[in-house]
Amino acid sequence: MNVTFKKKNYGFVQLIPLFLLFFISLNGNSIIDLNYFSINIHYIFIYYWVLKRPQILGYGFIFLSGIVTDVIFAMPIGSNPLILLIIASFAAYIRVVTVRINLVSDWLSFIPVLIIANISHFIILYILNYPIEYLDFFVNSIFTFVSYPILWAIFEVLINITNINLHD
Amino acid sequence: MDTSRDDIGIVIRSAFIKKGAQQRFSLFALIIFSIILIYVETIKSKPFDYFRSFIKDTIYRGSAVVSSPAKGIKFFSNSFREHIKVFEENSRLKEENKVLKEKKYYNSFLIVENNELKKIIDENQAVSSNLVTTRVILDKKSPYLNSFIIGSGSNKKIKNSMPALDGLNFIGRIVNVNFFSSRILLVTDLNSKIPVVIEPEGYNAILSGRGDSKPSLDYLPKNHTLKSGNKVYTSGKEGIFKPGIPIGEVILNNSTPLVNLASDINQITFVNIDLGSKNN
Repeated sequence: MNVTFKKKNYGFVQLIPLFLLFFISLNGNSIIDLNYFSINIHYIFIYYWVLKRPQILGYGFIFLSGIVTDVIFAMPIGSNPLILLIIASFAAYIRVVTVRINLVSDWLSFIPVLIIANISHFIILYILNYPIEYLDFFVNSIFTFVSYPILWAIFEVLINITNINLHD
Repeated sequence: MDTSRDDIGIVIRSAFIKKGAQQRFSLFALIIFSIILIYVETIKSKPFDYFRSFIKDTIYRGSAVVSSPAKGIKFFSNSFREHIKVFEENSRLKEENKVLKEKKYYNSFLIVENNELKKIIDENQAVSSNLVTTRVILDKKSPYLNSFIIGSGSNKKIKNSMPALDGLNFIGRIVNVNFFSSRILLVTDLNSKIPVVIEPEGYNAILSGRGDSKPSLDYLPKNHTLKSGNKVYTSGKEGIFKPGIPIGEVILNNSTPLVNLASDINQITFVNIDLGSKNN
């Protein structure tokens, strides 16, 4: 009985990152945009969880959350899934080639990921004739990069609290 | 060399093509599917439009449900703030009411006189508007678009480019219509360009959104004599909107004239969509 209860409880805990992923998409919090401050939480979220616990965040769910973000932010449908999957691809690649993951290596490898994600975003908007705000892109990239350690720490706490192990 | 090339191949296969332990789809397949979706987005055809409308309606409803707690908190904090300044506002409103009462008699005289003059020049009488009132279901700030999602669409005969009003004040236009929802592009958005007329001088200009709460006035005559407080109305020049819908007041700030909107965009819960005249 006891074992069964623990298993069920664990199953629910595993869903927290997934729940958060769809919450930030549906609630329109993928990008927190204040006057001079803009962070793309979605990018950090996908990168971190695919890098750390790929078994929790399915690629199909990442794709769906991208579609939701596109609709909420009136972006061309398919653009955000593509960018998020590019980030997930890089995270998956880094996971395979890296032996030991820590904050510094994560953070540094996030730089090329962010650059490529933004270039892809720029290309999509350019091809589809959407207005491009270069300053917004720049500010968003800088603050997303700077905020990575803060969100990293929060997600680490979440991993510790929920006790989600890599090989479970 | 061969071994190292093999290693890279294995890494790429493992990361992109294989599905992984608990993955149902491979990254590569989903990336290709995303590219196909982007391509489909550029195709304009009725079946695709219906499909897109269905997806958008579903997501908007889901989003409205998920963001309802945040909306509730915002509502309570706004009511609390309003309660705090109720005394101050009451005295201001009393003063304003006094002035308006005085103006009222003069205005009614002007309306009668205006109608008489219109009859004389054989102009069509103003027809009553056909307004649809609907609730704002989503007002998410996006860095790419300042817009509202409203809970009515083609089911209420809403069409693209119809003006959206807060009370009787112009706040934006419809840019995307689904079955049960529509998107309003606000005048504050970077893409918004509205032909306006500024009274009392009667200057024509273009009201351009800047991404913040105060849009600017472009293409004014070179030697204009605008003053702060001049009223801005739609000019109806492009034939899209009716002329004379109030938008706001001019603020002269440095070199660029800005417009203080008559409606506070952040406090809007219901909007009126002008479906055009009933006679049309």
